[in-house]
Amino acid sequence: MGEDLRMTGPAVELRGVSKAFAGIRALTDVSFDVRPGEVHALLGENGAGKSTLIKIMAGLHQPDTGEILVNGTARRFASPRDAHAAGIATVHQELLLFPELTVAENIFLGRAPKTSLGTLDWTAMRRRARELLDILDCRELDIDMKVASLSVANRQRIEIARALAQDARVVIMDEPTAALAEADVQRLMDIVRKLRASGVSIVYVSHRMPEIFALADRVTVLRDGNLIGTMDIAAVDESRLVAMMVGRAVDKLYPARQGQSGATALELRNVSYRTVIRDISFDLRHGEILGLAGLVGSGRTETALTIFGITPATAGEILIDGKPVAITSPEAARDLGIAYVPEDRGSQGLIRAQTIADNVALANLRRLTRGFLMDAGKVLAEAKKAIEKFGIRARGPEQIVRQLSGGNQQKVVLGKWLATNPRILIMDEPTRGIDVGAKAEIHLLMRKLAAEGMAILMISSELPEVLGMSDRVLVMNSGRIVAAFDKAAATPEAVGAAMTHSAASRSAA
Amino acid sequence: MTARLLFRHETILAILTVIALFVLSMLSDKFFTVDNLLNQGRLMSEVGLVALAMTFVIVTGGIDLSVGSILGLTAILFGIFWQSLGLPIPLAMAAAIASGTFAGFVNGLIITRFSVPPLIATLATLALYRGLAEGISQARSVRGYPEWFFFFGQGEVLGVPFQLWILGICTVIAAVILAYTPFGRATYAIGANETAARFSGIRVDAVKLWIYTAAGFMSALAAVIFVSRVTTTRSDMGTGLELDVITGVVLGGTSIFGGKGTILGTALGLILIQALKNGLALSGVKGDGTIVVIGVVLIAAILIGAIFDRNRGG
Repeated sequence: MGEDLRMTGPAVELRGVSKAFAGIRALTDVSFDVRPGEVHALLGENGAGKSTLIKIMAGLHQPDTGEILVNGTARRFASPRDAHAAGIATVHQELLLFPELTVAENIFLGRAPKTSLGTLDWTAMRRRARELLDILDCRELDIDMKVASLSVANRQRIEIARALAQDARVVIMDEPTAALAEADVQRLMDIVRKLRASGVSIVYVSHRMPEIFALADRVTVLRDGNLIGTMDIAAVDESRLVAMMVGRAVDKLYPARQGQSGATALELRNVSYRTVIRDISFDLRHGEILGLAGLVGSGRTETALTIFGITPATAGEILIDGKPVAITSPEAARDLGIAYVPEDRGSQGLIRAQTIADNVALANLRRLTRGFLMDAGKVLAEAKKAIEKFGIRARGPEQIVRQLSGGNQQKVVLGKWLATNPRILIMDEPTRGIDVGAKAEIHLLMRKLAAEGMAILMISSELPEVLGMSDRVLVMNSGRIVAAFDKAAATPEAVGAAMTHSAASRSAA
Repeated sequence: MTARLLFRHETILAILTVIALFVLSMLSDKFFTVDNLLNQGRLMSEVGLVALAMTFVIVTGGIDLSVGSILGLTAILFGIFWQSLGLPIPLAMAAAIASGTFAGFVNGLIITRFSVPPLIATLATLALYRGLAEGISQARSVRGYPEWFFFFGQGEVLGVPFQLWILGICTVIAAVILAYTPFGRATYAIGANETAARFSGIRVDAVKLWIYTAAGFMSALAAVIFVSRVTTTRSDMGTGLELDVITGVVLGGTSIFGGKGTILGTALGLILIQALKNGLALSGVKGDGTIVVIGVVLIAAILIGAIFDRNRGG
């Protein structure tokens, strides 16, 4: 819509910023600016480069090339402290507060007012804390409470107050509503408007379209580390934004389906785990890839953990090949032919300090034995097979897994699980944090496995991946399945709408 | 490959041990004699048996502080079963060992069922089991065991102390289990990344329960040998044993954070400590001097290990 003329220049500006991690480009030549007193939404799929961008603004990462300007002068942020000094504060997704300290102490941690004697000025500190919270309309929040006892929404308000205590002119909010209930979302939006009215700029990272259209003045879309565009919010609509985020022609990038779905492998009937997931019913057939879409926290991973026996179902029925089964532990799930490639490779999928051979053997210890003893030959053979079959680029089975790239680590996890000869494969974020080439290889592999009759349940936060890979798509929202699409009906708009539909509009419906 | 073998903690430890043996035999001509060495082997057997199980415990990332108290409790129960209940010695021995094993099982239950950190759980049972031992013994000692019973602690087979045979056999079994069985692989996996182990279908709780139970069993076995060696049962037996055991295991290169360690390392660590204790005493160094030397050696071994570990990268 062209540059509109403002009296003042941007509060913060990034010019031509690039950043790579271990050779993988996270941001390429991205320019981004925040004007005083605006809400600037930052949009993009997972892995698009949003977090890298805001971490550079917050001083956590240093750009490889490009510069950061604050009020028109170039600055270098060597650490978050420098960014704070320049008036930039971040409200993190995982709130970084000290649970055993009080509200007031948390707000002023590290920059508490001092008396002339150099001791903490408790009176001033408590008074200022009260004022800040009153500005945020949090009059009911007791400043002497320990943070541990507070709700997520209240903790977030404390983080915002903390940003104000630092005299922040720019506040970065990273998915602030991801963990909030609907009423708290409304209050947060009020707070954001209030901040804007007082001249503070907000960088607002969110997936949720209704919030973006309700709050933002401008919106910037990133994709694969590139800047796709910055527009006035009035100049775009939802489908335009989704198209900008998704971008590419989805079906071209993903391997085509071979073969047909066979018999039902896994069936869930009204399965619940406490109140985390409720009334989950679906069936998964041999030879198909079933996509499970939803926002972070919608219950997708929790569903997988219940099927895999980490959090056994508290209600409902699970059937494998038509027979009811009791899955009370991961070993029970494994013995029933279920494999789970978890979301968090580093902490759940792999023992990174151990070798490829050790890791591949891990889910299969009992079978790789001769008598009572481990059969080193079989372990090595299994590892070599995995290296060959999945094209793991490594020096050999004795290489430590930590030294491999993300994509190759993921292939080790896959190798570990396919060594157990599973018939049902659950893949949670199968390509998170791995580069484009390895991603395509894993997609191809999934297709091949499905063609061989494997029943695959795929969880992904990347809409294009869900749409490109899945034969059918289920959408979860707030612990329930809210929509199901077959391949033809699964358009980005339809699935995206089901994912982002806020709780209020659903309960009203 | 050769470089890696050379820089292994066990190799460094073996070199240190050889140096220590050499220096000590220079300092005193009584040190490097067959009689003295075998006698030292006899003295380290009780700590050695417990250290084997402790290696498993520490490899999982846990700790067991209650082993000394289990030893004391088992010793007292053995004396009571024999003297007060009138059980024959073999039966009293079996019952006492079963009780000690059960004490270890209780540790395992507290740790796995109620998710109490091992340090806290076994700190509590350290006090609990010692208190039970003292309550049961009422400050009386038990003596007057029949002569044949002293064979376990004082006898010899083929010129080698009986308990050294036991220690040798147990060491081989423990080494094989830890290095070459699915159970051993699971032990390392739990210590290196418990979540990933659980997510791989390893029965984490069952493995831990077995290991703490085994620690109880080994402590109980050591108790019987201890009583037989010193011919008397007292309730304060094994006080401070846990520290000697943990020192040996850690000196042997087992990481206190779990996931790393070998039985060979533990064996070398124990031999080095025992050699220093004995050799320095024979050379006329006072008791406190010996403790200082052991402390210095422990720190040095760990620092050297850490330096090589860092150089190796990972």
